[in-house]
Amino acid sequence: MDLALQLLFTGIGIGAVYALVALGFVLIFRATNVVNFAQGEFSMVAAYLMVVAVEAGLPYWAAFIVALLGMALLGVVFNLGVYYPLRHRTYLPVIIATIGASILLANSVLAIYGPQPQVLEGWFETPGIQVGPVYLDSQYLLIIGVTICLVIFNFWFFEKTLLGKKLQATSQDKEMASLLGISVSTMIMITFIYSAVLGGLAGILVAPVLFVSIQMGSTIALKAFAATIIGGFGDVAGAIIGGLALGVIETFGAAYISVPYKDGFAFLVLVAFLIFRPQGIFGERVAEKA
Amino acid sequence: MRLTRRDFAAGIAAGIAAPYLIKSANAQGATIKIGMCAPVTGPAAESGGYAIKGAKLALEAVNKAGGILGKQGELIVEDDQTTNPGIVLAFSKLASQPDIVGFLGSIRSTQVHAMAPDVIKLGKPVMIGGTDPNLTHMGNQWLFRCRPNDSYSGRVIAEYGVNTLAKKKWAVLHSTDAFGTAGGKALTEALGKLGAPPVLDQGYANQSQDFTPVVLAIKQSGADILGSYFTFENDLGIFARQLRQLGVNIPWVGSPSIVNITALKLAGPALYNTYGVADYAEDSSEGSKAFGKIYRDAVKVAPDNQSSWTFDAINVLSAAINKAGSTDPGKIREAILATKKFAGAEGEYNFDQNGDGLHGYNIVKNEKGTIKFDKHIEFND
Repeated sequence: MDLALQLLFTGIGIGAVYALVALGFVLIFRATNVVNFAQGEFSMVAAYLMVVAVEAGLPYWAAFIVALLGMALLGVVFNLGVYYPLRHRTYLPVIIATIGASILLANSVLAIYGPQPQVLEGWFETPGIQVGPVYLDSQYLLIIGVTICLVIFNFWFFEKTLLGKKLQATSQDKEMASLLGISVSTMIMITFIYSAVLGGLAGILVAPVLFVSIQMGSTIALKAFAATIIGGFGDVAGAIIGGLALGVIETFGAAYISVPYKDGFAFLVLVAFLIFRPQGIFGERVAEKA
Repeated sequence: MRLTRRDFAAGIAAGIAAPYLIKSANAQGATIKIGMCAPVTGPAAESGGYAIKGAKLALEAVNKAGGILGKQGELIVEDDQTTNPGIVLAFSKLASQPDIVGFLGSIRSTQVHAMAPDVIKLGKPVMIGGTDPNLTHMGNQWLFRCRPNDSYSGRVIAEYGVNTLAKKKWAVLHSTDAFGTAGGKALTEALGKLGAPPVLDQGYANQSQDFTPVVLAIKQSGADILGSYFTFENDLGIFARQLRQLGVNIPWVGSPSIVNITALKLAGPALYNTYGVADYAEDSSEGSKAFGKIYRDAVKVAPDNQSSWTFDAINVLSAAINKAGSTDPGKIREAILATKKFAGAEGEYNFDQNGDGLHGYNIVKNEKGTIKFDKHIEFND
């Protein structure tokens, strides 16, 4: 039982990271109908920005704000440089452009900062607390807390605010939103900014646990992408549940079945969903009329 | 001017012959070229940089001392991207240059396995740092190892843990790649021979983000000592931190990655008081001390095995070419195999007929981030 509780905590912690990145995938997919394969690199870039800001002597909280502002700027640049020029094309060129952008981001950071993995200290001086038989890593606690806050914020933002409703309207039907006087390009710009900030937040939060490296983004993004499919592509709640489920499944799978095949469990679940429930947990079946 | 049929034929003949003449001229060029596959990019790019520096320092010294066969040595580096396809591509690029007389391969066994078939096809000496014992026991006569292989590291870890630390209940943790699997197997076999078969033999996949299940398995096994073979430093760093956080403080004797610079930086205090087998330990011999000084003066960081093996590889290869008096691959091979009592940074080289130059390891201890030499254990069989 003690073992299961420890595994559950860790699984939820790592799953929350997948969920944060998955949320970025979903928001951009809803707004633009394309998958942004550079979402993982947003996490990596933010972590490096944080390291640079901390090394420059900024207090941790100020470095955090600078890194997130940097990510907002990256979201703007990404939208204008990668999505906007291709917005009238089919989804394929846009997806290829995001893959190209992810390679560019990874290699740019490599060229600027070098290949050395970096250490980013956590928010708290205490690495964790022991609650009975379970050790709660303070960074994972923070990640879980932030994920819960974001779930609440997303609900409030998308359901209760005018801007959120405009974003939803844009994602559902761009032409209709435009007819209603909503600036579709502005809404898409906001979506990219928000997604970049979300991805960046995930990167900054997970960096003290996984270290800061060029590869950190792609490793997380692959799992987050699987999480979005499991949750139901395009569904915010699905991304959260999918991410958490994936984290828990792979952690328990590693502990009770096989450690070397830990990554295999995540993708086994993904394959099972693609076969038996391709629309994911919360997705709706889409059928074409004859 | 009219183009006659004879002029045309001569032109065609010259065009066909030119590339061969140029290649031939290059082969007899002003420098002796040594090719090197190194991770300039990818997860091991940092250690790749150290490896290149080690090789360049050695070549500078060789050139100052008269060079190779009276010519200056030149290092041609190709990026192996820290991947198997990457090193195959890098090696094929180098192999296509006929004037390269010898090569430095990888410190990663899995990459050496990937390039090994092309090494046989080429038939030129390749110095390697990969420590999977199979690499020099699978009929490839062109691989020469400048580090002790894992059959020795496994035996040294077992010997030290059982006889010096007096621990018998072992947990063995290893990567599931070629290096980790071979190392884990060697350690398990050595422990079996010492009457202390492991209570846990656990593999893990590289680039894991979480080791909680592994740590809990070690905890539950009741092991009183841990032996490990980690390939990547970031995996080692994550594991070390989680191990300590989850309250496992048993003695830990690890493969060489446990004492390399990147691992020490990432894991910090989580690696304090651990032991490592180290092919390079600065205080272990006069050759090691001399290399340490050269490297510190030039690179301004502490030397480790990433740079020491390439330093030795260049020195051994250059000395062998000089001794052979020729760039003929067969003669260089014979000269390498005849290398005995050669003082290198990693220790004294005595090549056996398999191509293994070193036959023992140092044990070092991490004392609050400083690596201290403890003892050297050498095997003669």
